[in-house]
Amino acid sequence: MTAHLRFLWALVIFFALAGCTLAPSSPDPSARSQSWVQLKRPDSSLLQGRQAQWRAINRLTYGPTPQVIEQLQAAQDPLIWAMQQLDAARLASQQAPRLTAELMDLDLPLPALFEGARKEREARANVPAGTSLNESLPAGKRFDFSEPAPVHFFNRTQVNKATAWRLAACSSDEAEQALLARMTEFWFNHFNVYQNKGSVRPFVGHYALHVVRKHALGKFEDLLLASARHPAMLYYLDQWQSVSPPVARGKASQRGLNENYARELMELHTLGVQGGYTQSDVHELAKILTGWTVSPRSDSGFAFVARNHASGPKPWLGHTLGVSPADVGLEEGLQAIRILSRHPATARRVATRLAQYFVADEPRQALIEALSSTFMRTDGDIYQLMQVLIGSEDFWRPELRLYRTPFDFACAALRTVQAGQNRGAWLQAFNYTATAGQPIQNWPTPDGYPLDAATWLSPEALTRRIDFALNIARQAPQREDLYAYLSAATVQTIRQQAAAQRMGLLLGSPEFLYK
Amino acid sequence: MNMSRRQALVQWVGASAWAVCPAWAQTERHQDGRLVFVFLRGAYDGLSMLVPYADPHYQALRPQIAIPAPDGSRRSALELDGRFGLHPACADLLPLWQEGLLAAIVCAGSPDPTRSHFDAQYHWETGQPGRSSAADGWMNLACGSTARPTLAAAIGVGEPNPRILLGPQRVQLVASGASALRAGTLANAQTRQAMQALYASNAQLTEALSRGADSRLQTAQMLSSPDMAAQEQSLANNGAGAAQGLALDAQRLGTLMNKNRALRCGFLSSGGWDTHINQGDVTGVLANNLGHLSRTLLALRQSFNGPRDVVVVASEFGRTCAENGSRGTDHGHGNIMWVMGTEVQGGRCHGRWQGLASAVLNQNRDLPVHHDFRAVLAQALVKSQGMTPAQVAAVFPGYSWDSDMDGLFRA
Repeated sequence: MTAHLRFLWALVIFFALAGCTLAPSSPDPSARSQSWVQLKRPDSSLLQGRQAQWRAINRLTYGPTPQVIEQLQAAQDPLIWAMQQLDAARLASQQAPRLTAELMDLDLPLPALFEGARKEREARANVPAGTSLNESLPAGKRFDFSEPAPVHFFNRTQVNKATAWRLAACSSDEAEQALLARMTEFWFNHFNVYQNKGSVRPFVGHYALHVVRKHALGKFEDLLLASARHPAMLYYLDQWQSVSPPVARGKASQRGLNENYARELMELHTLGVQGGYTQSDVHELAKILTGWTVSPRSDSGFAFVARNHASGPKPWLGHTLGVSPADVGLEEGLQAIRILSRHPATARRVATRLAQYFVADEPRQALIEALSSTFMRTDGDIYQLMQVLIGSEDFWRPELRLYRTPFDFACAALRTVQAGQNRGAWLQAFNYTATAGQPIQNWPTPDGYPLDAATWLSPEALTRRIDFALNIARQAPQREDLYAYLSAATVQTIRQQAAAQRMGLLLGSPEFLYK
Repeated sequence: MNMSRRQALVQWVGASAWAVCPAWAQTERHQDGRLVFVFLRGAYDGLSMLVPYADPHYQALRPQIAIPAPDGSRRSALELDGRFGLHPACADLLPLWQEGLLAAIVCAGSPDPTRSHFDAQYHWETGQPGRSSAADGWMNLACGSTARPTLAAAIGVGEPNPRILLGPQRVQLVASGASALRAGTLANAQTRQAMQALYASNAQLTEALSRGADSRLQTAQMLSSPDMAAQEQSLANNGAGAAQGLALDAQRLGTLMNKNRALRCGFLSSGGWDTHINQGDVTGVLANNLGHLSRTLLALRQSFNGPRDVVVVASEFGRTCAENGSRGTDHGHGNIMWVMGTEVQGGRCHGRWQGLASAVLNQNRDLPVHHDFRAVLAQALVKSQGMTPAQVAAVFPGYSWDSDMDGLFRA
């Protein structure tokens, strides 16, 4: 296994370098050789000692469970352990999620989710005049799924189950492979949907499991296409009701073109705002995608309705789609997604965001170039991107620090106090992320939440974080096994406090605020 | 950031804070004004709030979502000046308009053409259209105080860390709702000492801890004091019901800024304005939002009624003049800004209005931007903070004074 991994790793680096020399990177030869240096095996000094282990644990999982500590100490080399995590994550993504009986409803097929939402609508319409539903949900009941969901609250229950699953997945190794939970979070945020936009609610869990998790280490194009066709995204960015303008003029319907999804598809999901497209490209892409909509009765939840599609040639991004008879209709949108998912600007955007998520707020150009050239060479194979990333020197360089987002911190705390299966602790984590400004699945805008310390390391937010750390640690068992990973000064400060305070201070220490 | 921008400001705010220092202890009427900026994130549809009902193109552009011309009923716009009407959900604002306390600025916005919410909001909050690299927020720079560095001079209610307040000066950030009242674990001196010891070798954490703990304690003390609780209660009972959401945040902002006169600038924001589908007309999603906004402005007027107090309302850009295919509107360009205050030349529309004919629109689809948003903010800073145009120029590098807006306030 080890020999196999070493060989694999050598291949990865070889290809990454080959990709680099092919990529239209900096014309300055010294810059190119610098990127070569970047990608040689991280210096062995970077991989030795507790620091490298701590880094691997906190960047590839959300934090140190006792099991992970043991595993890593048993492994000879944190790089090998890291690559094993990556393989395990990919394997897990190809298998069904391990849902507990209570959360099994998250896996309902899409037609059943449409049906549940329809029944809720119907039941609410039939609430007798003069009476009203009690909409309040006692805090303690949010994650209590022991009773079947009342028909009036189908959507809310699905949302709460999805949230529970996200918290369990990030904090419990029994619920989810830890690196896959991280990858799922990354891609959910990249292809963000907002659960409080009415029609999105019943689908958010299905979206997380069957779009994001499933393709988290697959091909970018598959992920992009899956998100484009999923009811959660079709509803969230209004694509489901964007139809060709001529249909809008007919008396059967007063609907027409809606640019929302087309714009965010280029601005956020693929090319980036500097990706070189114009308002006219947004308009033409919206026309290309007309007819893409939801289908309550099909297993995919998706339908292409040809009569709503704008016919005719569409000049877009230097191509003209909708010309040859074999390539019109649905095929135009598929072609557009193919073009976008192989575009160098997309490669660069994805590379940059991955590096910001795993390495540094401002990753070095050489790393971004290595990742984008890997993206271009492999047609956006996310697994191979991650191999290059984990194998890069920058991933292991201790001076490149990341400050945890509130969600990241909540998950780290749950893992450290070993409360990943504890409903009361989920609730504390849930409330903390909301007051800290990063409510789970509740980021309203399609850009997703920012990742950088400039956003999250603020005075007010730090006080909320300390409150959460000290409160969730109250009943927690001591974790003196972690002291070996902390600075001498931190350990000294912790030891000066009464035993009941120590876990809280441990969680509030700089070693936990950063990763 | 640009060091000259920062240095120029530091000199100014230092002197200014010194000058107003004696005023802090006073409880009577204050001469120094405050600026409150209400940011409607997501691009609100200004043409539904300030309805150009007399324009011959308006109905045709919006066959399903236009607000009907004033007919005296609550199902139509409320007459303002023969050209424009006010959305009926904003009926609460009509008296403010009639008393001359509220003005609209038409065709205002960012000169940058972006239709990206995120980029445009960044430009608005840094005061630097077109810039995407790191920059401090204009409110932090314009309102910060270095003379009393432990005191915040600007405050935000709601968002945990808005860009507009980011920068070298201390600011007070207050959570929405009940959690604003809780001082938290750091109220315990021993806990605070232990955290200080943990962060001793990290300057950034040390600074954030000290600022955050001070701000939390201060907020909780002020909002929990018996007179304050009574005041909130009586304010709540004045309206139809307890203030909710944005209006409650506005009430809190007023309470905190009136109690602490060192706070010279306030920031509020709300979301839910990105109405691509079914935005409604006299009722509906947008009408509900406009109703909340009106109650928010009323709450602000109760607290910010000093001669030099100014409230500005704006979004990052406007929406298309024509409705889209989903009875909503898409991302546009120019928009309507609002200014409220005792010395506003109110009850009228400022700015250049050329109507909605396709040829005068931006790219034949949106209101043009005739007036840089910084022209409006500049006037508001001069009025409320007593800044000179040169000082304003340091907050908004690259902006040159626009005399079109010189009549926005009474001298």
